[in-house]
Amino acid sequence: MSDRTLSRPRLGAAGDALRHQREWFATLRGQAAQGRPFALVNADVPQELLRAMDVPYVVNQWWSSIISAKRMSGRYLEALRERGLPDDVEQYSALPLAEALSPRGDDAPWGGLPLPSVVIADCSGDSLRRMFQLWESELGVAFLPLESAAAEIVPANWWELMRHDWETAIGSPRIDLLQLELQGLVPRLEQLTGARFSPERLARIMALSNEQAEWNRRTRDLLASAPRCPVPVNDVIPAVMIPQWHRGTPWATAAAESLYREVSSLVAEGRAVVPRERRRLMWIGRGLWFDMDFYRSFEQSHGAVFVWSMYLALAADAYARYGDDPLRALAARFCAFRDQMYTPPWSVEWYTKEARTHRVDGVVHLISPDSRASWFTTHALRKAGIPVLEIRADNADGRSLDPAALHDQVARWIESLPDHT
Amino acid sequence: MESPEPRQAATDLRAAHDDRGLHALRRAAQGRPVVGYIGCDTPVELIAAAGALPVRLAGRAGRDTTLARTYLDGCVDPQAVNILAAILTPQEHDAVPDQTPAPDQTPAPDLIVITHDCDASLQLFYTLRELRRIGAQTFPPVHFVDLLYLPGEPTRRHNLGRIRRFADQLAAWRGRAIDAAELAEAVADHDAARAARTELRRRRRAGALSGSEALRWYAAGTAMPAREYADTLTAALAGDTARPAGRAVFVSGSSHDTADVYDALEGDGWLVVGEDHDWGDGGDQPPIGEPTLEALTDHYTRAVLPTVARPPHRMADAIRDAVGGSGAHYVLTYCRQYDDAHRWGYPAQAAAAGVPAALLRDQPYAGIDLPDLSSQLLSQEARMAR
Ligand code: SF4
Ligand code: SF4
Repeated sequence: MSDRTLSRPRLGAAGDALRHQREWFATLRGQAAQGRPFALVNADVPQELLRAMDVPYVVNQWWSSIISAKRMSGRYLEALRERGLPDDVEQYSALPLAEALSPRGDDAPWGGLPLPSVVIADCSGDSLRRMFQLWESELGVAFLPLESAAAEIVPANWWELMRHDWETAIGSPRIDLLQLELQGLVPRLEQLTGARFSPERLARIMALSNEQAEWNRRTRDLLASAPRCPVPVNDVIPAVMIPQWHRGTPWATAAAESLYREVSSLVAEGRAVVPRERRRLMWIGRGLWFDMDFYRSFEQSHGAVFVWSMYLALAADAYARYGDDPLRALAARFCAFRDQMYTPPWSVEWYTKEARTHRVDGVVHLISPDSRASWFTTHALRKAGIPVLEIRADNADGRSLDPAALHDQVARWIESLPDHT
Repeated sequence: MESPEPRQAATDLRAAHDDRGLHALRRAAQGRPVVGYIGCDTPVELIAAAGALPVRLAGRAGRDTTLARTYLDGCVDPQAVNILAAILTPQEHDAVPDQTPAPDQTPAPDLIVITHDCDASLQLFYTLRELRRIGAQTFPPVHFVDLLYLPGEPTRRHNLGRIRRFADQLAAWRGRAIDAAELAEAVADHDAARAARTELRRRRRAGALSGSEALRWYAAGTAMPAREYADTLTAALAGDTARPAGRAVFVSGSSHDTADVYDALEGDGWLVVGEDHDWGDGGDQPPIGEPTLEALTDHYTRAVLPTVARPPHRMADAIRDAVGGSGAHYVLTYCRQYDDAHRWGYPAQAAAAGVPAALLRDQPYAGIDLPDLSSQLLSQEARMAR
């Protein structure tokens, strides 16, 4: 693509993170081969608890993304189909299960995921609990479910409250529930893995992960306020996401700090993805994983750059929880996690705030069938005076979107936006 | 109240089903409030104890759901969308032009209660909450009761807190606390209704009722005062009913809040002899007994499990028992569009059933693909016979 001429080497922080991830996974595989227990957990599960027990864990959705990136989804999903199980419901959560039910092959991504000793998932939605139960019934892997409670009333400005006043933001009943569940999880995990829980270690982990969140916040604020966008969003994503899977380790906190330092020096140098930046854009909805270059394809032609990623923004606003009781703070980090991005009023008010602080000229809103409350998101943005282009796609795997047509549609819409120059 | 004569009782049950607003209108005419609720796990005893008539909100085939679909988009069970349509435009959409008087002239309830029985209910609640916040639509006040279902003590404690809060909310709403006598009466009335339902199930198993009639009789109970329902149903069950003919099928999967699918099935030569969804046999509950908030909590945490909260292995065992008990020769797992959770348990269910089993997925609201059903079941039967 022509914009390749514009690209510079990846962010150093992104390269480091990808390297670290490979080494970490190879170590985990080696240890698992020698019989060390490890856990497979959903993204919304309080992983810090496992870290405080020194039980290694793999995040289900991260592993799914690796399977997808290696284009193995189709073959693995076949194993579900053969058993009469759905291959079209919550595929992203189901892929590691599908892999485990598939015949082992030499071409498994990164050598393949060993069979976990325990799987943990929350019961959000109707399918997750039933799907995860299959780890137990089909593969004999213990499944520990957690509730997913919901609140009746919430204050809208969660991002201002969450760090210190999470009790007000979330409401005590939901936190009480997850805290009690975590207290019950500890002996179960000790029994299943032979590991020991250490409250002191949890306190250190919470402190480190809060520090990591502060670095992410500085990076996000810097990207929002920089006169021009200094780095393409798709380079920021791995640099922020991979350390998220290692939250609470000194490595992850250092990685978040080095990302911040790298971005600030780019800003200080006056670097810009597009030298004559004419339109700043925001993408809401599932990423176009099959076509990451899409995001960069309007830079030369339209002076338009995507400046915001949900991953960095969540890492900046959604994780930090301070407090004297680390276990309760940890419960507060996760018991309303999904609401922050999916449930109005939180989601819509937050997107609008982020659009404003990033000074975006327009939002591309990808609405897939599993999107939630998309009407409200578009409505709130438009009410705030921000133009929105809605794109409806049946799925984000490329089959339902014609990339050329999508490109033209977005190009025409960008041309209708006011030009900064 | 004097027991009605059986045939009249049956007519009364049918009337309460066909026009779910019938008893609500009568109550409203007496100046007494009506509470519309969603979710089989709604603590209806508290609503009744607060002096209101609880009426479970149901969908209706043919309702215009365009506006509701705008707000509640994505993968949401069309049944929830249909109910949202009724909430946003209570009367207008329910008038069927070629029928006078229009059926189902359900008055807007004075209060709406939604539980966390499935994801569609939760999304419906979020939609209403946000519509109210931004002032886009007007509708009655809405309460959300977050009851959950894992078997552990943390869940029970959480649910006790939710039920206490709900009792407080109802007290604030009507301006007076619920007293012990009110709660005792409400629990006794609903336990009587439960006992009558259990008898209905027994009679149906004895082959005395069609599935669509049984579903109507069950559904009437969610639109009538509990004591009146218990008496009416008991009277109706005292009458003679003819054993209907048909290929005996057990229905699992999505719930059916109207009789449309059952009517279609039974018009096609099937006979629905049982089901595990909560508008039918699956709504069977043991009595609560003790009129306390703790007993209500135990009941709604342990004894009333919404379908998606039931562990698949337990459902497979239940299917085996139900097939035996109901004399079903076939099992149908019916999944409405976007109500896919049942599909995760289907292979285990089909294996446990011991009779031909079919899965129908992506079914439209109130509709069913009969040719697909026949071809799946009859071909399996032929294979099994060989
Ligand atoms: S970002 Fe959202 S979808 Fe992705 S893993 Fe985290 S919770 Fe899941
Ligand atoms: S970029 Fe993010 S989502 Fe994609 S593989 Fe890396 S960590 Fe996972």
